[in-house]
Amino acid sequence: MAYVAVEQITFRFSGRQPAVIDKLSFTVTRGEIVGVLGASGSGKSTLLRLIAGLEMPESGSISVDGRLLTNERVFLEPEQRGVGMVFQDYALFPNMTVADNIVFGLHKLKRSMRLLRLEQMMELVQMKEYAKRYPHELSGGQQQRVALARALAPQPSVLLMDEPFSSLDAHLKASIRSELRQILQKANITCLLVSHDQADIEAICDRVLRIQEYGRENEFEEIAVG
Amino acid sequence: MKITLLPRSAGRHVNGWTMTSVIGAAVVLLPILYVLACLFRPPNDNWSKVKQFLLTDYVLGSAKLVFFTGFFAAFIGVALAWLIAGYTFPLRNFFKWALVLPLAVPPYIAAYTYSSMTGYTGIIQATLRNRFDVALPPGTIEVMSDRGAIFILTLFLFPYIFMMTRVFLERQSASFIENARLLGHKPISVFFRVVLPLSRPAVMAGVMLVVFEVLSDYGVANYFGVQTVSTAIFQTWFGMYDVDSAMKMAAWLMIGVIGLFMIERWLRRSKRYASTTSRSHPLRPQRLKGLAAWGAAAFCTVIFLLAFAIPIAQLAAWSIQYGGKIWRSDFADLIANTIKGAGIGTAIILLIAIVSSRAARMFDSPFMQALSRMMSAGYSVPGAIVAIGVLAIFIELDGRLAPLYRAMGKDDGALVLSLSLAMLLTGYVIRFMATGYGALEAGYEKMPRVYSEASRTLGRSSLFTFLRVELPLIKGSLLSGFVLTFVEIIKELPLTLLLRPFNYDTLSTRAYQYATDERVFDAALPSLLLVMIGLVSVLILLRPERR
Repeated sequence: MAYVAVEQITFRFSGRQPAVIDKLSFTVTRGEIVGVLGASGSGKSTLLRLIAGLEMPESGSISVDGRLLTNERVFLEPEQRGVGMVFQDYALFPNMTVADNIVFGLHKLKRSMRLLRLEQMMELVQMKEYAKRYPHELSGGQQQRVALARALAPQPSVLLMDEPFSSLDAHLKASIRSELRQILQKANITCLLVSHDQADIEAICDRVLRIQEYGRENEFEEIAVG
Repeated sequence: MKITLLPRSAGRHVNGWTMTSVIGAAVVLLPILYVLACLFRPPNDNWSKVKQFLLTDYVLGSAKLVFFTGFFAAFIGVALAWLIAGYTFPLRNFFKWALVLPLAVPPYIAAYTYSSMTGYTGIIQATLRNRFDVALPPGTIEVMSDRGAIFILTLFLFPYIFMMTRVFLERQSASFIENARLLGHKPISVFFRVVLPLSRPAVMAGVMLVVFEVLSDYGVANYFGVQTVSTAIFQTWFGMYDVDSAMKMAAWLMIGVIGLFMIERWLRRSKRYASTTSRSHPLRPQRLKGLAAWGAAAFCTVIFLLAFAIPIAQLAAWSIQYGGKIWRSDFADLIANTIKGAGIGTAIILLIAIVSSRAARMFDSPFMQALSRMMSAGYSVPGAIVAIGVLAIFIELDGRLAPLYRAMGKDDGALVLSLSLAMLLTGYVIRFMATGYGALEAGYEKMPRVYSEASRTLGRSSLFTFLRVELPLIKGSLLSGFVLTFVEIIKELPLTLLLRPFNYDTLSTRAYQYATDERVFDAALPSLLLVMIGLVSVLILLRPERR
């Protein structure tokens, strides 16, 4: 059954410009890790931003786990959606420690629960000894793990990852890829991951979708993971 | 769970943030529009007399001041900018920032300082007479004239052009200038064929700032008895008690300002000289040797002495000599008033500025863009126009509120709002909104959007995101916006002079009062204090470069 359902979604930045995403539909089943491939400018980051509620679609609908997030009438603000996102440059708050960053989204939990959850997350991404550090004191790979922990902490219904490897050195990629796959599997989360690098996606994802040419009606082409 | 029903995007855009921006823009625009609207009202008898006998002189006076000040300030500003950006010579690093310091001296203070120094009993003529037995023929160094006003305004406003041109040349011009040198051009030819045309947008931006300052000037022209449209507005208002004619004049001045604005836009329309690549490297200055090096240093020294060191030394000397008796009078009240007015004004400005700069950031629509440009419009509107617009609106408001006042037991025709500090504060908000707004807009531009987005996807509300994520990240800009606005308000003269409540004096009004009462020595201490306060904001302006 479709867990994430995107139907006929259309988006353009301003009225005069051609649509970046044009009548795109696809579904993701629960627990699946799906990769989205496409050239730069093909609208793959925009797709994630639409699901997160950071952009408003012109038409079409998005729902997750049977809950409508947006259509022509309804628009849930990002904070009402329960969708987690890891940004391209991680966007860790520079004025907060690792621990403060991770508990930032846990405001609905009681204090004791919050600390427990923090503990679990630090364990999951193996960053326990870095709780008191500030983001600028961490390496790129460590920052990515903190960003992942922060996004997973509030137990989102779906995790969105925008070019998770673009700010990492090439020689670190291989180890971080397998690490990320392990974490995602352990967290047992439905995940949509965007990249321009087919190798990244094939190493992590169960299924790959390739976004088609810019400027025409978009379609997803399914690619088997080898 | 809140679900916004029809229409989706309207519900998203109408909220506290955008409403506050609209109110802020309305406060800035309303008095200006009110003044402009009076063009469509039938003129009174006085206006035809003013128009027939006086207006031409006023307009010519303003035009002359604007033209010559603009020209000389551009000449000095560009010459110094090119010297300092393009060459090294003795004391260059000192002049690099020292030549911006004249901006800390309000021109009206420079005006009465210079006029006393050059007067018959002033230090220059007295020294010549007593030490060297030289008597200058009267009028040899007379600054109480339109030439004097041009001299003062040029010396104390040129740093705008200097600063903008120098920064542009240092950052953007390197590859072009180096190429011209490689292609065998001599320094003079490099300057006229490459440097000058390239830096035209920066020079023009600086010149426009100077022009708006000159048009807005009241203190210098009034002190020197030079007829300009700004002084004429005040004279018609307070000399002839003819607010309608004063407003008509303000409206025509406003048309002139709008015209200038459009001419400048038109001149720049297709000439985008800014570097086409973002990978521009800083310009490496060439070393000057021998006579050229000392000549450059001498030129900078002369300007620095005239535009800063000499008048400040004179003010300091007077303060030490005569400052004692000032302290005894109501000086503490004066300082308290100054800080109170500037503090409240700055707080209101920053509150509106922070909300609307955030709204402009959140909703990147053409409407919000237009709104944010309107917020900054007040800065180019001369103080005289702001003053008369605010006064007219407050009197109108008092008229409308008369039934309420009567119900509160006041006399018929009582003026409440237009005799209160609120009127002056409104004037400050209009005139200096741009300063606060500019600082916060820059702060938001430097802060990546993703921080706010990350907070929202983590389930935090827009307000919480603002308070806990954005505010800590823009607090530097907030602080510099506060200081810059605060200092501008403290230095401000014409608005305060005209819109203040009865018996409300600040450092600037008192200093100016002393000076116009021929008590320049008494004016020295408050003036020196004002310059010190002004230095704080100049240092903030210079700060980003030292990083």
